[in-house]
Amino acid sequence: MVEGLIHPLNIFLLGLGGGFLIPLLYRLSKRLPAVAFWAALAGIAALSAICFWRVLEGGDAIEIETAGSLPPLAISLRFGVAEGYFAFLVNLVAVLGAWQLWRALRESYTTLLLYLILVMGINGMIMTRDLFNLFVFLEIVSVATYGLFGLGRSPAALAASFKYIMATVLASSLFLLGAALLYHVTGTLSIDEMIVRRELIAGPVGATALILVLACLVIELKPYPANGWGLDVYETAPAGVAAIVSVGVSAGVFFALLKLLPLFEPHLTLIAVSAAITFLAANLIGLRQANVQRMLGCSSVAQMGLLTMALALLSQSGVAELHMAFVIGGLFANHLFAKAGLFWLAGALGRERIRDWNVLSTGAPFVMVFAALLVAIAGLPPFPGFWAKWELVMRLAASGDHVWIAVVLLGSLLEAAYMFRWFCRAVGGQRSEDATVPALMRWRRGLMPPAACVALLLAGGVVAAGEAGAASAWLFAPLAAGAVLLAAEGLPGRGKCVLMLLLVSAVGFWLLQGVGGISGLFGALFLAGGVVIASAALYRDDARHGYYPLMAVLLLSMIALLRATTSLEFFFCWEMVTLASSFLLALSPPARRYVLQFFLFSLAAAFLLLAGFGLVAATLGTTSLSAYATAGPAAAPAFVLLAIGCLIKIGVIGVHVWLPNAHATADGDLSAIFSPLVTKVPAFGLFMVAYLATRSQVGLELAHVVGWIGMLTAAGAALLALHETDMKRMLAYSSLSQTGYIVAAIALMSHLGWVTALYLVANHLMVKGILFLTATAIIYRTGLRRLEDCGGLARRMPLTFVVSVAALVSMSGLPPLAGFGGKWLLLTAMLQKEWYGPLALGAFATLIGLLYMFRFGHALFLGPPKRELTDVREAPAALLVPQFVLLAGILLLSFFPKLFMVPVSAAIDPQFASTLVWQGMSLELIYAYWDPTRAIVIAVVIAALGWLALWLIYRGGRRPGQVPGVARFYQFYRAMLAPLQKAPVERFWGGVAIAVERGAGAARRVYTGDGQTYALQVLYYVIALYFVAIEIPKW
Amino acid sequence: MGLPISHVLLVTGLLLMLVGLWGVFAHRNILRIIIGFSILNTGIHIVMVATGYVTDGTAPIIDKALPVGEAVRSAVDPIPAALVVTAIVIGFSVTAVMLSYAVRLHQARKTLSIDAFTESKW
Repeated sequence: MVEGLIHPLNIFLLGLGGGFLIPLLYRLSKRLPAVAFWAALAGIAALSAICFWRVLEGGDAIEIETAGSLPPLAISLRFGVAEGYFAFLVNLVAVLGAWQLWRALRESYTTLLLYLILVMGINGMIMTRDLFNLFVFLEIVSVATYGLFGLGRSPAALAASFKYIMATVLASSLFLLGAALLYHVTGTLSIDEMIVRRELIAGPVGATALILVLACLVIELKPYPANGWGLDVYETAPAGVAAIVSVGVSAGVFFALLKLLPLFEPHLTLIAVSAAITFLAANLIGLRQANVQRMLGCSSVAQMGLLTMALALLSQSGVAELHMAFVIGGLFANHLFAKAGLFWLAGALGRERIRDWNVLSTGAPFVMVFAALLVAIAGLPPFPGFWAKWELVMRLAASGDHVWIAVVLLGSLLEAAYMFRWFCRAVGGQRSEDATVPALMRWRRGLMPPAACVALLLAGGVVAAGEAGAASAWLFAPLAAGAVLLAAEGLPGRGKCVLMLLLVSAVGFWLLQGVGGISGLFGALFLAGGVVIASAALYRDDARHGYYPLMAVLLLSMIALLRATTSLEFFFCWEMVTLASSFLLALSPPARRYVLQFFLFSLAAAFLLLAGFGLVAATLGTTSLSAYATAGPAAAPAFVLLAIGCLIKIGVIGVHVWLPNAHATADGDLSAIFSPLVTKVPAFGLFMVAYLATRSQVGLELAHVVGWIGMLTAAGAALLALHETDMKRMLAYSSLSQTGYIVAAIALMSHLGWVTALYLVANHLMVKGILFLTATAIIYRTGLRRLEDCGGLARRMPLTFVVSVAALVSMSGLPPLAGFGGKWLLLTAMLQKEWYGPLALGAFATLIGLLYMFRFGHALFLGPPKRELTDVREAPAALLVPQFVLLAGILLLSFFPKLFMVPVSAAIDPQFASTLVWQGMSLELIYAYWDPTRAIVIAVVIAALGWLALWLIYRGGRRPGQVPGVARFYQFYRAMLAPLQKAPVERFWGGVAIAVERGAGAARRVYTGDGQTYALQVLYYVIALYFVAIEIPKW
Repeated sequence: MGLPISHVLLVTGLLLMLVGLWGVFAHRNILRIIIGFSILNTGIHIVMVATGYVTDGTAPIIDKALPVGEAVRSAVDPIPAALVVTAIVIGFSVTAVMLSYAVRLHQARKTLSIDAFTESKW
């Protein structure tokens, strides 16, 4: 008995029966329709869940025959794994959606009825195997949708609904005609039979019929430019209705396309091109939207484009069914829950315009759910979209579809741009951070369904990771640590900090077990440096909501990255670092305006890595990183992409615009993590790329270019640092300059270069850690950020002064401290390689470096003491202790270099081919062989001459009557560097942004708002499809 | 006997479809647009019926006069007719929904010109 009830056909019984029963029950009692509605809806969801579970557990697909006959005489339906997956997920969303929409739904029993019929119709579209029956379900869904649109009462909503009706009625009329003609040529309406007899679909009638059916499905998926009617409805319909149209109705139509795809085999390229245009254009147009729901509509249209494009391309290249299911299933589920959740959030907040969104007062749960859904929709880890997009890129790379990879990544970048701009605006309001405190645990009404979406997405992400073979405990350990700290968010600030440090130490130590070589060295630096610098956060006793969980995720992801053995794991950790640092940045109110820049450049870098990994995997047939060493010259383009990705993330000159602002405006102790520590992650990436490139003998000549880029960065950033008056921004530029040296050292591709690079990494990490904490302490005690405003602090903050001077000396590369060991070695190594250009740049950068570092120390600590700074106290111990620990590290590195050099040499040695110059030589030998004294003498002489020249120019150029002085000297040169402020680089990126915005503005001119124009666009689109399909039959 | 009836039907249907499309696109009045859609649908229905026509065929009623074996050759295909019946019902309900929207649009703006309803754009 019970067994008989659990049958997919009963979904229709519940839908239709419930639909008929509801009006009757209303006559009996006004409460009964709600009971019947929930019973029927829950029944539908439960039935699909159970049946899906059964077919998943190895049961055969459930074939449903009706009317006692077999197809083609009767309608048949199927409930297999694919149908079960789509139906179950849609029904799940439908239940959540009804919960969200409940206030509107319960007002009238007709809306309950319509909602139920809509859900049943979508199930029908998914399950039916009969072409005409598909039309019937399509119309049932359409009519129910039209009815639900009636919930929107405004004239705009009514008008939009009417436009929607016009366009979809036109499309379904074409479907009807196409289906009838297909029946005429094939003699059957059964989809399976039709696929068997598809060669009968020929000649003018058959071809036209096929195009008509295809055109209807494509139109229903809202292709650009014939989709204005869809966007209008997304904008004006109640959020809950827009959500179910965006994810539910689209799911039904998409599944119809999926099941008819064998018929459309000759037109797969056409489908892919049309979907790609939609994906790019919709995401471009999304950039210009001011209305939240319209923007979500753009994203929705784009995501359906991506799904369709993936479907067409993957079936064209004959990808195995399992991979196909992974990509399509992952992208579908990701969009389904993330988009529905976002629409519901929009509904819960009830603000139409993006500029009215100020979510900080809505409470932490709201912000977290909001952020998680955005991360999901952008296809970032740990959500299913990440794994699916990775697999998609891998498959496209394997079939050589490189242009398509570019389309996928470019569209995703545009989508991330407007989605995260929305987030930045929503959290960038003027409210102080404290506004969130009382609201910490406040659960807004309507937040539960979106929160459930996040939970489902997380579960889906773990399942997808398992399917992708990456579900290891260590990979998710950073997130787990973050979750633990999130649970402890109620503790006082310092308690959370201590807990975070303990957790990071323990988990980090565990993560590093068995990690050796260069990775092990970086790991030790990241863990020790991270814990020491992060402990500076103890100087604050405020709650800092969200800071500690994110910090744990950031530090542990950096460490986990070193453990990666496959490019997928590497990329996962890389994206986690990007996400954690972006959200940390968003926690600092002054930094919020730079978060978007920071995020987008990071994402662009990540996407280049993704493309590079895809190309390597296609050449080598594996994602294992250790196999990269066997790559031949064929992998050269991939290595170029990987290198460019790392260089963008480093922020080399030309793509540096995003970095200094972010690092300068973040909270003090956060910039002390970012600038010294997080910038080493792409440096490590570059190391790996360079190492693999060396091993695989590809692109060694590329190293010279990278060397130039590195030194140009070192010199350019040094000039910018010299020009800067904001102390933290100066340090940020200085970090960039130092990273330039590291890049050049890596590019040397020699043992010496690499020892130097690692040496510089360690030294810079400690030095810049100290200096950023110094800046933090000064800003904390004085509230001043500009160098000129300070002065004479040496007496007030003697300990800070001492530790800063030591750091400055070390960074300047002056003897006897550690920077000396690195920088001169680097310059002489360049001499050895006959890289005279980079060498000259390096010498210049070093000279400028001396200038700005002297200025930093002089302006802050020496110089005339400012009267208002007389009662400034020494920095808090919480800031001093990490600084002195770092100083101890510098001293250790300086006077006992062997402690560091032996493991470094050991880590590098086995990895070098014998062709390289410094194989097997320990650093002591190098020192002995090289006798750096000569180099140092030359360099010091050059530097002294440079100083002298600069001073003489200053004396000659200053206005008569001015008393010469250090401050004036710098002012003189700052004025000369003023043009840097309006550097062409900044203008270039500004121009790119404006051009993209203008493109978006032009692309959306097609949306005139006129229903007839929209209908005409639909007609033109169909005609265009028809002519392309007829003219280029192989498309 | 010259032109088979199916050709007449096909031509009529296609003409009606064009007339319907013209009605949809050439008129600014929402009621006329809805009538255009109805005519378009009627045209499609006639074309569908026409595709099932078999010249000199008989009614598809299988009995002594028309054995099963012969039905395939000499009976009119009943399926398009069955489809058209369903399509008519669907078209009816869609038209009803459109008309109800027309009423509400008129209530909102006191006009039935589609030019008055271009709020959302770009």
